[in-house]
Amino acid sequence: MTRRIAGTSQEGPSAPRPGLFSAATALPIVFGAAAVTPAYAHSGTGLADGFESGFSHPLTGVDHLLAMVSVGIWGAFLGRPLVYALPVIFPLIMVGGAILGMFSLPMPPVELGIAASVLILGLCICLAIQAPVWIACAIVAIFAVFHGYAHGVELPSAADPVGYSVGFVLATGLLHVLGIGIGLLNALPTGVLVTRSLGGAVVVAGAWYLAGALGL
Amino acid sequence: MRGGALPGALLCVALGLGLASAREKTVVLGLAVLVVTASAIALAPVPQSWSDIVFLGCWISIIASAAIVYAPWTLEDKAALALSLNGGVWTGALIALAPSKLGLIHALPFSLCTWPGAWARRRGEAIGLKVLASWLIGVAALAATLQFLPATPGYGPDHMD
Repeated sequence: MTRRIAGTSQEGPSAPRPGLFSAATALPIVFGAAAVTPAYAHSGTGLADGFESGFSHPLTGVDHLLAMVSVGIWGAFLGRPLVYALPVIFPLIMVGGAILGMFSLPMPPVELGIAASVLILGLCICLAIQAPVWIACAIVAIFAVFHGYAHGVELPSAADPVGYSVGFVLATGLLHVLGIGIGLLNALPTGVLVTRSLGGAVVVAGAWYLAGALGL
Repeated sequence: MRGGALPGALLCVALGLGLASAREKTVVLGLAVLVVTASAIALAPVPQSWSDIVFLGCWISIIASAAIVYAPWTLEDKAALALSLNGGVWTGALIALAPSKLGLIHALPFSLCTWPGAWARRRGEAIGLKVLASWLIGVAALAATLQFLPATPGYGPDHMD
């Protein structure tokens, strides 16, 4: 794993380019939002509750929220292909983790894993770490399992399964897109400083969560 | 309480994205196959006891259709038509099980996303489609698992509690 400062002339072809995000990020948002429209149009299915419950679930825990936004910001630092690969990998692996959680399969301490994810992803942003593709994918995939597991074991019984699933995955994906959007600040003169400072704030939060998980 | 037209709409989106990698003439034919098949089966008497199988078929079809987005090659004509036929069968069956056949009108238009999808592929911006496809696969995998889970873990204490 090597470190270099993003936003300098050393960035090379992998650096994020603002033009990349126009159509590429708009399509999932537009179709994703459009796909849930019938949920509200079709009355009497309980779907709105299911969707709202699923959509709000990833937003209710600050630790989850920070980690998912951080994945997007780090992806923006890493540039192509990871800027898009990480938001593809995270929801898919997270669903796998959620399935493990639903069946209550044994896992290492989830609280530690989630706290570590916030801390390490914050460090990756703060230090502008340029990880190789496979390492970045592995880091995000491992953390996605922990986050998915936590969601899975807390899954509410009352939710409509289909609406809940759509809301859950859509909210997660949109948090990544939000992170990528914040990462666009890197294109501005002082943007890198801002995003790395945000990474520093995430590190502090991660350290707090880790201390709590360790009972310190 | 299984989503009304939403599962069918998700399947149509997945099918539309999958067809985006086919030739344009095949896309038109594929969409026609989808509409005809789905309409015919939606009017057929599908027993409610088939519900689990129909929903499982829907989720598997969503995963299969969305996975095609990751293929770098052009989708062959026969494969595209088979995909459309498959999509039509499951969409129609879902609507046949739903209380209202109007769900078909809600679901089928989502297959039109194939044209913006094809446009994005031509511009070399298929990555947006891949992100969306991954979300669809995630939703389908989650919904398929929930279908077989007798009781979800419920409102237990949060991991932050």
